[in-house]
Amino acid sequence: MNREEIEQRVKKVICRVLKIDSGMIEPSSHFVFDLGAESTQSVELVAAFEQEFDIELEDDAALAVKTVGEAVDFIAQRVA
Amino acid sequence: MATTAPPRPAERPSSHPLDAVFSPRSIAVVGVTATPGTVPYDIFRNIRQAGFAGPVYPVAPGKRDIDGVPAYRYLLDIPEPVDLAVIVFPAEVVDRAIDHCVRKGVRAAIVISAGFREIGPAGLQREQRIRAQCAEHGIALVGPNCLGVINTDPAVRLNASFARKMPHAGRIAFLSQSGALCTAVLDYARDKHIGFSKFVSFGNKAGVTEIELLEYLHQDAGTEVILLYLEELREVRRLMEAALRVARGQPPKPILAIKAGRTPQGAAAAASHTGSLAAEDAICEAVFREAGIVRVESIDELFNIAVLYAQQPLPAGKRLGIVTNAGGPGVMAADAAVRLGLELPPLAPATQEALRKALPPTANVKNPIDVIGDARADRYGLALRHVLADPGIDQVLVILTPQSMTDIGGIAESICRLAAEQGAAAGGQALPARKPIACSFMGAEDVAEGVRILQQAGIPHYILPEWACRAMAGVQQILRFRAEAIDRPRPPSVDHQAARQVLAAAPAGYLTEDEALRVLAAYGLPVPAWQLCRSADEAVAWAEAHGYPVTLRVASRQIVHKSEVQGVALDLDDAGAVRDAFQAIQRRVAERRPDAEIAGLVVRRMIPAGYELIVGAKRNPVFGSVVMFGLGGVLVELLGEVSFALAPLGPIAAGRLIRRVRAARLLEGFRGQPPADIEAIADCIVRVGQLVADFPRIAELDINPLLVSPPPVGHQVADARIRLA
Repeated sequence: MNREEIEQRVKKVICRVLKIDSGMIEPSSHFVFDLGAESTQSVELVAAFEQEFDIELEDDAALAVKTVGEAVDFIAQRVA
Repeated sequence: MATTAPPRPAERPSSHPLDAVFSPRSIAVVGVTATPGTVPYDIFRNIRQAGFAGPVYPVAPGKRDIDGVPAYRYLLDIPEPVDLAVIVFPAEVVDRAIDHCVRKGVRAAIVISAGFREIGPAGLQREQRIRAQCAEHGIALVGPNCLGVINTDPAVRLNASFARKMPHAGRIAFLSQSGALCTAVLDYARDKHIGFSKFVSFGNKAGVTEIELLEYLHQDAGTEVILLYLEELREVRRLMEAALRVARGQPPKPILAIKAGRTPQGAAAAASHTGSLAAEDAICEAVFREAGIVRVESIDELFNIAVLYAQQPLPAGKRLGIVTNAGGPGVMAADAAVRLGLELPPLAPATQEALRKALPPTANVKNPIDVIGDARADRYGLALRHVLADPGIDQVLVILTPQSMTDIGGIAESICRLAAEQGAAAGGQALPARKPIACSFMGAEDVAEGVRILQQAGIPHYILPEWACRAMAGVQQILRFRAEAIDRPRPPSVDHQAARQVLAAAPAGYLTEDEALRVLAAYGLPVPAWQLCRSADEAVAWAEAHGYPVTLRVASRQIVHKSEVQGVALDLDDAGAVRDAFQAIQRRVAERRPDAEIAGLVVRRMIPAGYELIVGAKRNPVFGSVVMFGLGGVLVELLGEVSFALAPLGPIAAGRLIRRVRAARLLEGFRGQPPADIEAIADCIVRVGQLVADFPRIAELDINPLLVSPPPVGHQVADARIRLA
C-alpha cells in the first residue's frame, strides 16, 4: 500500500468518525484544534484506523499523534 | 433567555484591563463541543442560560452550530470584534488558541482547561508559554485550571463558569484559588440566600492574581466585602500592600480570607494540589493581620462575618443586647460574646422600666433579656424595639428556641419589620439609629420557615448563637483595624558602611561574636562595650579600664554553641580570675574542638540580670525577611509564644509585635516591677528589621537574650548570632 493510498483512507476514516467534510483536512491539520476531535473521538479514531488497516496500534503512542500527517506516517510504518 | 432586547453590558468611564473579564461586550467560547455534560459544552450553555447581554460565539471546528448558534472553525473567522475568549480546549492546544486571541485583538482570556503547572514540569512549561504570550500582548489572562468567572450585575449577567446555577446578586465578592470549592460555596450560598457581586476562580494564577483582583474589586461599586480562598502565596509583599490599600482605602472594604495549608499535613496536601509549598502558618497569620486581612478557619465563618457586614449597618461600638426566649442559650451567648471581646452592658434604667411594665413579671429585663418561653411575635417585637432604642446598645442578637407556643414565622416577620423601620420615624416609637440585628433560631426543621423569612429579608441567621457572636466579633476586628494607627517605616539612622564592611568580608555561615556585635552596633543596637582579645594580658587590661565583673567568651566561626564547649566564663571579678579563665577556655576549646579556628576571646562587662527577650530575624523563601519577637527565660520558652512581622517595619508595627506576645505584659510592670522602656525595645526591633532588609544575605539573626535590666542599665544585647547565606 503506498503512502497516497494510506492518506486517502486515513482521511476517509477521519471524515466518518468526526463527521466533517474532507475539504477541511490537510496533512498539517491538528485533530483537536483544527478538526474539533473530542477526547472520546480520539479513542474512536484509533479503533477505526485499526479496523480500516487491519493493524493493532499501541494506545499511548497512537494517542500521542497530533496531526493528520503524523497519523499517516504512524500507520505507514505499521502496514506491510 | 430574555425575549426583549437585552441591555448593553455596563461600561466603565475609563477602561480597566479586567473590564474585559467581568463586563465584556462579546464572548467567544473556544473549543466548544456538542456534548452536554462536558465542561466545554456546559460553559457555553451556562453563558447563554444566565442571559448574557452581548453576542456569544462558539468556536467549534467541524461543527455547523451549537444549540442553533452558528459555530466558527477558528476564532479568527468571527467577523465581529471579541472582548473575551473563554478557552475550553485541552491544554495541549491552548497556546494555539491564545495565538489566535492575539491576532484577533481579544482583550481577555479565561483558560478553564487543566493540564498546566499542577501536573509537573511539562505543564509548567505550557503555562509559562501562554503567560508570556498574554503578557506580551496585554491580554488579561485568568486561570488556567479554573472554574471561571461570574458577574451578577443585572446589566451584564455573566456566568462564564461550569457552576450549574447563577448565584443571587449581592454585595459579596468571592475569589478562590480552588475551582471545586467554588461550586460547593455557590450551592451553600444559594441555600442561605447569600448573594454575590463577582465570583472568580483564578486557578493557577498565571496572569491575573488575587492582587489585581483585589485592586479591581476595591473600585467595584457593587462589591462591599471581599472573600478570598488561598492555598499558595507567591508575591506576599505585593499582596499585603494591595490588601492594605483595600482595607484602609476609600472606601475601605474588608477582606476575609481562608489560607489553607495551616498544618504540615494540610500544607503537604496543598503542595501536591497546586504545585507549590504552603508558607509557614504563624508568619502568615501575623502578616495577614498587619495587612488588615481577617483570617478565618472555615467557609462557615467566612460567610458568617461577611453576611453580617454586607447586609447590616455597622455597629457604633461593641455593646451587645441579647433578646431570648430561653435562659440557657442566652447565658451561652453571653459567655461567648464576652470571651470574644464584646460587651454586655445592663440596659438603661428607662429601658428596664419600660420592659418591666410590658413583659410578664418572670421575664428578665437585664441583659440578656429573657422574654420567657411563651413569648409570641408581639412580645418579641416589643422587647426588640426597646433594646434597639436603648442608646447604650450598639447591636442586637435575637435568640429563639422552638417551643410549642412559639409563633416562629410571626416572630421572624416582626424582626424584619423592625429592621426595616430603623433609621426612619415610622408609626409608633421611632428608632432613629440603624443598628445591626443578627438572629439565631435554634434547631432545624421547626425553625426552617422563620429562618427563610429572615434570610430573604437580609437578616443574618446563625444556627448557634455563638456563631453570631463570632461574626459580631469579626466585624469589630474589621473596624478596630481601620482605627489602628498606620505604621510608616522610616529608616533609622545607621552606619550602613560599617556593617557592610564586616558582612562583605565574611564567608557564608556564622559570624564570630565579635563580627556580629560590630554589625549590630553599626545599626545602633545597644551593644555594651567589648573587645576581642588574643591574650590574657589584653583581657585584663580591658577589664581594669572598664571595671569588673566581666565575662569571657570564645570567638570562632566554627563554634556556634559556646557553652557546649565550655567556651564561656561569667562573673570574673579580678585580674587573677580573668587570667585563669582565659587560659582554661583556651585549653578546653583546643581539646574539644581542635578543628576550630579561634579568633580570640571576647571580654565584656557582666550585665545585671533582668527580663530576657529574644529579637530575631530569618529569611523566608515566601515572605522574605521576617523579624521575630519573644520573651526568653524558662517559663516563657515553655509557653513558646513569639510574634512575627515582615521587615522592614516602623515603630508602631514594632509596638504591636511586642504587645501581641501576651507574656509581654510583664514588661509593662507586673506586680510592682518597674515597667520596661517598651519604645526603646520597639526601636531595637525596627533596627533589626532595617538591618535584615538592607542585607538579604543575612539568613538568620538572633539577639538572645536582649536583657532588660532595671534602670540605669536598661536593655542591652547580651548575646547575638548572625548567619550569612
